[in-house]
Amino acid sequence: MFSIEIFTKSGFKDSRGGHVLADIVSLGFNCINKVGYCNLYLIDGKLLLNEAKLIASCLLSDKITESYNIAKCDGKDSNCSFNNNVVASKTMIEVLYKKGVTDTVSSSVIKAVKDLGINKDIKVKTGHRYYLSGKFSKTVLDNIACKLLANTLIQEYKIKSVK
Amino acid sequence: MKKVKVLILRTAGTNCDFETQNAFELCGASVERLHINFLVNNKNKILDYDILAFPGGFSYGDDIASGKILANEIKNKFGSQVEKFALSGRPIIGICNGFQVLVKMGLLPESELFEQVSTLSYNDSNKFECRWVYLKTEQKSNCIWTKNLASVISLPVAHGEGKFIPKDKELLSKLNKDNQVVFRYSTKDGKEPEYPLCPNGSAENIAGICNKKGNIFGLMPHPERYIFPLQHPCRESSGSEYGWGKIIFQNAVNAVK
Amino acid sequence: MKFVTNCNIVEILNLSDKQLLDLSKRKVLSLSLTEMKTVQEYFKKLKRNPTDVEMETIAQTWSEHCKHKTLTGIIEYIQIKNGKKTKKTYNNLLKETIFKATVELNKKWCLSVFKDNAGIIDFDLKNGVAFKVETHNHPSALEPYGGSATGIGGVVRDILGVGLGAKPLANTDVFCFGDPTTKPSKVPKGVHHPKRIIKGVVSGVRDYGNRMGIPTVNGSVYFDHDYMANPLVFCGTMGVIPKNKIEKKVSPGDLILVVGGRTGRDGIHGATFSSVQLDQSSDVSAVQIGNPIVEKKVLDAMLSARDLNLYRAVTDCGAGGLSSAIGELGEKIGAVVCLDKVPLKYDGLYPWEIWISEAQERMVFAVEPKNKKKIIEIFKKENVEAVFIGQFTKDKKLVLKYDKNTVANIDMPFLHDGIPKPTRKAECKIKEEKLQKTVKLTSSELLMVLKKSLADLNVCSKEWIIRQYDHEVLGQTIIKPLQGNNIEISGPGDGAVIFPYAVIKGTKKGIVLSNGLNPSYGKINTYKMAASAIEEALRNAVCVGGNIEKLAILDNFCWGNPNKPEILGSLVCSANACYEMSKAFSVPFISGKDSLHNEYSIGDKKFSISPVLLISAVGVIEDVANTITMPFKNSGNKVYILGVTRNELGGSVISKIKNIKDAIVPNVYPKESVPIMKGIYKAIGKGLIESCHDASEGGLAVAVSEMSFSSGYGVNINIDHIKTADTMSAAEILFSESNGRFIVEVEPKNESRFKEIFKGLSVSEVGCVSDNKFVIFESQKEKVKFKEKLINLLNAWKHTINW
Repeated sequence: MFSIEIFTKSGFKDSRGGHVLADIVSLGFNCINKVGYCNLYLIDGKLLLNEAKLIASCLLSDKITESYNIAKCDGKDSNCSFNNNVVASKTMIEVLYKKGVTDTVSSSVIKAVKDLGINKDIKVKTGHRYYLSGKFSKTVLDNIACKLLANTLIQEYKIKSVK
Repeated sequence: MKKVKVLILRTAGTNCDFETQNAFELCGASVERLHINFLVNNKNKILDYDILAFPGGFSYGDDIASGKILANEIKNKFGSQVEKFALSGRPIIGICNGFQVLVKMGLLPESELFEQVSTLSYNDSNKFECRWVYLKTEQKSNCIWTKNLASVISLPVAHGEGKFIPKDKELLSKLNKDNQVVFRYSTKDGKEPEYPLCPNGSAENIAGICNKKGNIFGLMPHPERYIFPLQHPCRESSGSEYGWGKIIFQNAVNAVK
Repeated sequence: MKFVTNCNIVEILNLSDKQLLDLSKRKVLSLSLTEMKTVQEYFKKLKRNPTDVEMETIAQTWSEHCKHKTLTGIIEYIQIKNGKKTKKTYNNLLKETIFKATVELNKKWCLSVFKDNAGIIDFDLKNGVAFKVETHNHPSALEPYGGSATGIGGVVRDILGVGLGAKPLANTDVFCFGDPTTKPSKVPKGVHHPKRIIKGVVSGVRDYGNRMGIPTVNGSVYFDHDYMANPLVFCGTMGVIPKNKIEKKVSPGDLILVVGGRTGRDGIHGATFSSVQLDQSSDVSAVQIGNPIVEKKVLDAMLSARDLNLYRAVTDCGAGGLSSAIGELGEKIGAVVCLDKVPLKYDGLYPWEIWISEAQERMVFAVEPKNKKKIIEIFKKENVEAVFIGQFTKDKKLVLKYDKNTVANIDMPFLHDGIPKPTRKAECKIKEEKLQKTVKLTSSELLMVLKKSLADLNVCSKEWIIRQYDHEVLGQTIIKPLQGNNIEISGPGDGAVIFPYAVIKGTKKGIVLSNGLNPSYGKINTYKMAASAIEEALRNAVCVGGNIEKLAILDNFCWGNPNKPEILGSLVCSANACYEMSKAFSVPFISGKDSLHNEYSIGDKKFSISPVLLISAVGVIEDVANTITMPFKNSGNKVYILGVTRNELGGSVISKIKNIKDAIVPNVYPKESVPIMKGIYKAIGKGLIESCHDASEGGLAVAVSEMSFSSGYGVNINIDHIKTADTMSAAEILFSESNGRFIVEVEPKNESRFKEIFKGLSVSEVGCVSDNKFVIFESQKEKVKFKEKLINLLNAWKHTINW
């Protein structure tokens, strides 16, 4: 399985990250000073690394404003690729749909991968990553995750520390 | 006189195809709306037409990024036919989602290169914006679609990803130098606007561009939604019985007549 | 009968009453004891136990959501007014009030009422207009984004599934939310903060509506603490349908085709869930996620199949999924369905899950065998999945198969008519309303109340919401939700007008949509709430050029627990208002929906919503050129008020700002309003009115200010010239929310012809539009005068919701 993370190149505006930060502040948490937002795609199938790179560069990321980070991971956990370029951050919250919840973007990705000429059976999961910088406790992170970033009824979140 | 033939390409999520068809028909063209599946199986079919239109909508839900999946699909499946059509000088228009497709396919702004060198990214406001805007028309532009327009016109926009970003400053100055900028968001009297009159934070308030030759035109605003004065919020006309949008379509139809 | 292992037998024949109830609860069947016993009796006669598929089928067919058993059941009603008791028994409340008015009015232009997925009225020789409004409350509380998105997706499918399918042209949305400024610490555990719900719901409607390419053109938002844990989400869709496509016909032998999305475990028990009170342990699978692009593909493909006459009936899979859809189509004849043929999102679904799943974006068609190949080809061309799963029969039985084994075999008549009618008690005490102590305010206090009213959550600009919706896609929205004299400023429009030129070539006609909603009146008097909502919806349509003689309305009741007599009583009271007002205005109901059980409990504390009746109006306008917007058009023009102002501050915005306790809730006087509404239609048609706006929340002061700041023109109003029914103070005149009032702008040259039309009616000239940028109100009698810059009033109105 490959995990592909799409982030905004430096010099371009990460408007989603900026708005998430504003929402965090309006929830009453002033301890976060920056949020970097990334799209996350987990692609499972018998893909080669250069195929995954093709998918990341030609499909999942925008040539002008975005870049990607790609990692091969084994099995269920996506806990393998991190990106220090997004914000100088030691903490990241990752949000994915729970099993069985319809992920509409995933079917579009599967179609588009076929259009790229890669005729392999793949499974795709999409998610979000929020890199946070500032000083905060785990309770604060849980609060932000539950009240803003994830609806725990249909999504699950993980708080990860960035190496 | 020969009837001008227009092809409107549609796919899952296209949703401005009817009004675009109506606009072209009003200008005397005969219009066909064809699904991409048909064109994939009949690759040379597009060369039968005089004008090619990529209408607005949310192709494939704008999943991943707006226009991206459709741009890739066209390029991979019948890109060379589209390129041939473009290089022949026949008019092509991309409206809103269609503009996003043209840019991501690389047909704009450098149609000869046919590589993506600019993008349309998320609005600075981070939300979808539906409103009417003023557009300053660049008088020096050689875009065949935008003759006979006033120096400032108004059209509606409706998009979440309309912020035009060229890959670098060189490209931006080249676009200016070669008069490829067609529309800029402006105030009523043509001055530099602020949000929300510039709804997305585009570089130099760019709302529409063309290729160097002037036959390929992409814009975020919707000319097909301003065909007659009733559609304008204050029911203004362009000085004729029609709205500014009609004149844009008429220009292209007249150009190939 | 031979059963397969993945279908279980439910032991029911030998259960005691208590055991029956336990079973109903354990399996989330939401069936009452009487209903469970009826089922038991039925299977006793068959001498066997039911399968789980059969139990689930019955439970969901008999659910509140599908059968509306409260409003069609027996209600013993007691009304207490001034200590006097009156009793009445209703055998079917809907038939004896709302539907009765429609039957008695017998409008020839009503083409299909209360029988299909939407109501249909006449548009022109060849076409009709279909309109439907739905609610999607509980899912939106749990998952605001997915809940509201599937709400809009569902009502669009209602329009696709009316007759042989209408083409959707516009959406409407109305929400009731908690106060977004609520402190996070005051939000009960397990409940999302109102702001999160608002953002989620708005994004859900936005993403679904925009992607479908249907403009969202009209709506309303009401804020109150009552809706914090139980927000209300109403979604409506209007479409056009050729008149020769209005009738469905299903014949034995027709094939059953399922089209669109795949079936998963989504929304299992959604239908029965709608009658269960919300709690923190609410079922996860009750939440559905929609995919608008799948629905858009279905729309595109099915309309071309419709025009080629390739099917004979269609309906959408809504609550209850395939079970409801096929149950409805085959009700009178019978059907056999092979559940193993239904395309699935993933493996492992039980037969009963396949049958009642509420997975989105699915439609069911009845297809003549000779068209089998052709119709599949149409869908295939557009990448839409379409699979034949069974056939309609003539034995009046519902037979379900899985892997060639029969997993259900029930008689259609029992399934559809076997439900026992419940008897419920209802009681309504009409509160006595007293006139408040005279409200006298100084000039500066009056200005303060005006500014606070404009900034009030229920009055302020909803631009933040409206501009996220593509309200102009299709290019047909010629009266838009936000209106201004140039494209930089905007005020709140009354109704929206769609000019369907791209669909019905050559037409000059338009379709007006509007709504009325006054939950704050309902806290005091639900009769007046209903009457006011009806009048407000009509006024909003009339303001833009609607013809009251060609308007039809829809009802949406959202109420608390109907098992409580006082809650059901307040509903009966408002249904009576619906009957009386529909008759008095001669405006028929064509469709409606109810959502009961809007209650939420946390611990032992119970939250119950204040009742809400949403009235949505639709009408045909002869000539779209005769439509107008609300901003003033030119200085020097005269301002007139049509209608009488009464001392009615009950439930008003000023009563909240000034904490006024006693007060009278606005009543409705159809005998005064109807001639005025007809006059306005006539005057607009003759070009005698430049702008028109109705007075509602915030009264005349707010309405006049809105007309002014959205135009860039000032206005001078002489309060002493405003016609009142009683002696009233300036504050009462300006902020009373009496129904029946319109503010109109008339050019001096048209004044005499204008007055001619309103001869003998309540009409008063109250001021004039000016070139300066001030709104000025003055009363010499009371010696008050206040004056404010337009820009300040506009800003007061604009900045409350701006995220």
